[in-house]
Amino acid sequence: MAAQVALRRQQAQEESEARDLRLLYPCTGIGGEAGIPQGSSISAGVPVSVSSSPAAACFDVFGSENQKDDKRFYRERKSFLCIDGSRMIPFEQVNDDYCDCEDGSDEPGTSACPRGRFYCTNLGFRPHYIPSSRVNDGICDCCDASDEYNSHARCQNTCWNLGQRERAYVEGQMRTLDEGLRLKQQLIEEGVLLWREKQAQLRELQQVAEDLQVKLEEHRRKKHEADRLKEQTLKALEAGDGGLIRHQNSSVASIFHLLDSNKDGSLTVDEIKAKVVLVHDEQRVLSEDEALALLDRGHRMDLSKFQSTLWDVLTRGDTVKIKDTQGAPGSLSSEDPHLKAADRAAEWEATNLKKVEEAYETVNMEISDLQKKLAIDYGTDWEFLFLNGQCYKLKVYEMWGMWTGKPKNHYSQMVYENGEPCWQGGSRSTTVTLTCGTETALRSVKEPSKCQYIMDFQTPVACQPVLKQQGIHSEL
Amino acid sequence: MAPLLVLGLALCLSGTWAVDKGNFKTCEQSAFCKRQRALKPGESPYRALLETMELTNTRLTLQLINDNNKVRLLLELYRLQGNITRVKINELKPLKPRYEVPDVLIREPTTEPLSVLSQDENGVVLSLGVESQRVIISARPFRLDIMEGSDVLMSLNSRGLLAFEHLRMRKDTFSYKVTSTVASTTKEEEEKVEDGMWEETFKSHTDSKPNGPSAVSLDFSLPGVEHVYGIPEHADTLRLKTTDNGDPYRLYNLDVFQYELYNPMALYGSVPVMVAHSAQRTTGIFWLNAAETWVDISSNTAGKTVFGKMLDYVQGSSETPQTDVRWISESGIIDIFIMLGPTPKDVFSQYASLTGTQSFPPLASLGYHQCRWNYNDQEDVKSVDAGFDEHDIPYDFIWLDIEHTDGKRYFTWDPHKFATPKEMLQGLMDKKRKMVAIVDPHIKVDGNYKIHNEIRSRGFYVKNKDGGDYEGWCWPGSASYPDFTRADMRAWWASMFAYDQYEGTMENLYTWNDMNEPSVFNGPEVTMHKDATHGAWEHRDIHNLYGLYVQMATAEGLIQRSGGVERPFVLTRAFFAGSQRLGAVWTGDNAAEWGHLKISIPMCLSMGLVGISFCGADIGGFFKSPSTELLVRWYQAGAYQPFYRAHAHVDTPRREPWLFGPENTALIREAVRQRYTLLPYWYQLFYRAHVTGEPVMRPLWVEYPQDLATFALEDEYLIGKTNLLVHPVVEEGARGVTAYLPGKDEVWFDVHTFQKHNGAQNLYIPVTMSSIPVFQRGGSIIPRKLRVRRSSTCMEHDPYTLYVALNLQRTADGELYIDDGHTFNYEKKEFIYRKLTFANKVLSSVNLAPDAKFTTDSWIERIIVLGASKPSKVTLKTADGQEKQLEFDFDASMSVLTVRKPGMNAGADWTMTFQ
Repeated sequence: MAAQVALRRQQAQEESEARDLRLLYPCTGIGGEAGIPQGSSISAGVPVSVSSSPAAACFDVFGSENQKDDKRFYRERKSFLCIDGSRMIPFEQVNDDYCDCEDGSDEPGTSACPRGRFYCTNLGFRPHYIPSSRVNDGICDCCDASDEYNSHARCQNTCWNLGQRERAYVEGQMRTLDEGLRLKQQLIEEGVLLWREKQAQLRELQQVAEDLQVKLEEHRRKKHEADRLKEQTLKALEAGDGGLIRHQNSSVASIFHLLDSNKDGSLTVDEIKAKVVLVHDEQRVLSEDEALALLDRGHRMDLSKFQSTLWDVLTRGDTVKIKDTQGAPGSLSSEDPHLKAADRAAEWEATNLKKVEEAYETVNMEISDLQKKLAIDYGTDWEFLFLNGQCYKLKVYEMWGMWTGKPKNHYSQMVYENGEPCWQGGSRSTTVTLTCGTETALRSVKEPSKCQYIMDFQTPVACQPVLKQQGIHSEL
Repeated sequence: MAPLLVLGLALCLSGTWAVDKGNFKTCEQSAFCKRQRALKPGESPYRALLETMELTNTRLTLQLINDNNKVRLLLELYRLQGNITRVKINELKPLKPRYEVPDVLIREPTTEPLSVLSQDENGVVLSLGVESQRVIISARPFRLDIMEGSDVLMSLNSRGLLAFEHLRMRKDTFSYKVTSTVASTTKEEEEKVEDGMWEETFKSHTDSKPNGPSAVSLDFSLPGVEHVYGIPEHADTLRLKTTDNGDPYRLYNLDVFQYELYNPMALYGSVPVMVAHSAQRTTGIFWLNAAETWVDISSNTAGKTVFGKMLDYVQGSSETPQTDVRWISESGIIDIFIMLGPTPKDVFSQYASLTGTQSFPPLASLGYHQCRWNYNDQEDVKSVDAGFDEHDIPYDFIWLDIEHTDGKRYFTWDPHKFATPKEMLQGLMDKKRKMVAIVDPHIKVDGNYKIHNEIRSRGFYVKNKDGGDYEGWCWPGSASYPDFTRADMRAWWASMFAYDQYEGTMENLYTWNDMNEPSVFNGPEVTMHKDATHGAWEHRDIHNLYGLYVQMATAEGLIQRSGGVERPFVLTRAFFAGSQRLGAVWTGDNAAEWGHLKISIPMCLSMGLVGISFCGADIGGFFKSPSTELLVRWYQAGAYQPFYRAHAHVDTPRREPWLFGPENTALIREAVRQRYTLLPYWYQLFYRAHVTGEPVMRPLWVEYPQDLATFALEDEYLIGKTNLLVHPVVEEGARGVTAYLPGKDEVWFDVHTFQKHNGAQNLYIPVTMSSIPVFQRGGSIIPRKLRVRRSSTCMEHDPYTLYVALNLQRTADGELYIDDGHTFNYEKKEFIYRKLTFANKVLSSVNLAPDAKFTTDSWIERIIVLGASKPSKVTLKTADGQEKQLEFDFDASMSVLTVRKPGMNAGADWTMTFQ
């Protein structure tokens, strides 16, 4: 094995020295006897590399890549070592339509090797390799028709046309690219501006939030103060002259006076009917009997009796009440002006606090929204920022998907998962491919399987300044 | 609330993943089956009236009488060429004609002379001419025994279950009562009217049964037989089970949604042929009846353990093992063909002589088929096609399911998705590939649809019981069904495939007939009402034949459009006896489950035994989504089954071979490539099947008929004679398989490693994800083409490599068949057919068909001799007398000799000497 490797190295070196040897197919004096089956039509025109003629200072072996290093392997000699080094064969067996090398390297010009490949020179167009299985299969694969040298296929050399079309296409692409890149630059600039604007907005909001924070504390303190004051006033009232009972008595008396329309010190059926109504039916005037019942079946009622009977009914407030008032007369308790003022102050401060709290909350929400948006990956130059919030045609998703392009171009593909549910279970998903174009638009939508969508989205920002066609022969 | 909803949904979904058995009848729910099955053995009312016997040279007739009702039957008995006995039983004077199945037999069978050997009042003995075979007709009760020497091969009505419901006038309840009081005086015992005789309701459907009861039934006893096979289509074991404890096997073509494995329910197709096998003999019963049919099987050894059987043997007390079979059909007559073997191959050729052989498919149809419900549009087709090239996976056909049509109107294209079908077809043709588009038999009822209007105006639709055009619900919505039983309808249908009729078609477009049971979504058991009419006949009479006729008309259309030059390719889901003549069959809507992969083997083996060789299952499984492992294993198994097509339901994710990562793409590529290297062998086997009727994919017992170990094997099989043995991996996570290699004096070579194994052993083979255990028998020669290309057509002119596997006697033989691959010119002897023999260290190619003419560009590229010893030289001698020495390689560790580039033309005579 080691010997073989050494031999291989030597061979390669010799070959690089012999790089000037060159012969284009078809060689003169090839074809014929070498290993081609008798009586088989394959013998006609097979470009066997073998030539018994000593004039074979020939050649690039047919089907190998002449332009590159490959040719050094095929320099004519007595023997050929498979490129993988696995085997040495007589040189006549190179391109003799029988596969000797495991790696297919002995048959670059025929279909004999399952792992082989054939080099389409394709002058005027792009050269490329095809699998050996496409040599002489009746289908024109190389535009120079070189792969169908012994088949029924009638292939035309279409490289020139293809090359022209390709060049026109590439030119178009380049124009699109230039325009796209220009637009992209604009969008980037817009994006940057927008980004800065948003950043400024964020900072502003943060400042507002800070101010509000201060205000908030101020208001909290104020409210606290007002509450405390109210409490104190109430306590003072209760503890001070007469206390609650007197206060209550005066209330009882005032209600009694209110009801006692003729001010004769006792309530009558008519007075009751005039001032007292049912809680559930204020419009109806009480009946004689009902009024009488409220007067505890007596036709007159003095203050002391009122206090022990009807007052209780009124303060309970669940059956009858005084006309044009709300609920039980208990609320009438705070007649005290100090208490009233303290109460109003506390209420004022509470409202103020609530307002500030709401404002603070709103600002914070705006901040978090903005921060979320700014945390999205808009590309390296924020070039995708302008797309945020825009909707293109098919509104299924309300969120920003995941960038899933290959590492080389991370921003070339986006996947949306967990869309609306599909009837057979699972949820819809969409893969959006972004390609370079001068407009931002959805170009096509496909559904290769149920509820799995593929969208083609064109936009200038997908334009990459790396697109450069290589390989087209420029000499033609 | 929300969790409750989710639960409800989950239940609903899991409920859809199994067959709804309630949609399909059990025997108990099928009135005639219930009636017939209720009969008790040993009480036959039938008596042969020997005095009525008439014997011409080739035909015996005899009347039978039912002593209960005095109705007379006429029995006809024929001796047919090739060791077949035909027995027909019909009413002597039926009220109106009873249906006799047309168009299944390829011709009126050739009869042979019969003679009476002896006769007395108890019976008649007839000579069957060969091998001391006799038929004994016993008179009381009627019974028929077929003997060879002193052995009974088969007995008919030995259990007295012959039953023939004669046609009768319907009596309403009142008059029935009157007649029954009179009955005692007329002596004729009136049969009592049972439920379901004149009307039968299943679920919401009522069958009006205007002809009343008309069932026929007969029992067969098979002494010495413990193994019976056939009567497809069932998702069941290869060896049929006894049916004592459940329903009989049912033959009634039905569109069964998500069918269940291992049960006797009816499926899409029916072939009423059973093959019985013992170590001594193989026989067959062909019950030619197209009505709903049930088959009961019982066995006197079924319940016995191996130990029990051994005990019987030791004690000498055993009764002979015996299998009893009983056939029950709803209408028609009894018309049976008893195929007497004696070998499995004799039975195949006997059956082929009656119903024909496998059609010879275009070579390309043996390649790989890429299908999906649906490839959405032309661009989709183009990109899938390109995907195969990009990933270097060969394929021959891409398929379009129902969505390609303009609103499920067959013979049309969706004007948006498939606007330029010819452009698409041309694109495929440029790559030497082809397409199949679906054409189903249900026709959209639509006054703007040409096909519908023509069929309606010509009166070609099946009629409902009231005489109007039958309408049912199918893919297009309301649909009618052409009456394919009419020859004029079929001729018209065929003419619709002409290139100027079926617009947008080209010669590389072929056809797929689905839903031809026929499937009627809102019909009883998802099919047509039995009281629908086909001219004089009820659908009841012809049901199982409908699908065959659809495929027949379609195949004829493809032949006609080419002026009779090109072989057709038509895939069908429904089938009957004779469908093998028309194209390919697949096992219908299976599921992406390991069990379904596994059962594809016995299902196709069963079909092969009754003539249908071109069989396959949807690779990957139709319903549900396969795991990657299952998909890869299915590609591997499918590569070694006759019809190789991947298919998927519309609701499943895409599963083109390259969507599962490079490693799995490589595994699938390798499986498909193995298929393509073997195409010359597959093609030659289909040629053989076409000529002889032998199955392409066959159970081991067919080739090892005396090896009891092979009788129930269904996880491995042979492709062609005994040459390739395949034991695919069909278990999840398998680390190895155990293959039985038959043949005491045989050797088998692993086709991948060339390792040699002895026969008559259970061989454990460790497997990895790339393993497809396949063995070539020592003694065989198999041709391959190793230059796998984009499609089979691209490989047409490629050279061959011959794999010569030597047996212990150091001999081998094989064949090589070559023709143009797609026309009927082989019928004009345009082919090459050669015998390859290795003996006495000489390999030779001899012409098997000297009167045939064909030339090929293909040559012999390489010869690989397995089990070889090292020669000192290898000399090739060609027909012109020239000799040349050949280079060779010898691998001593594996005893493999590779002869380098002998180079002779594949059609030439030559000998190669290994000195």
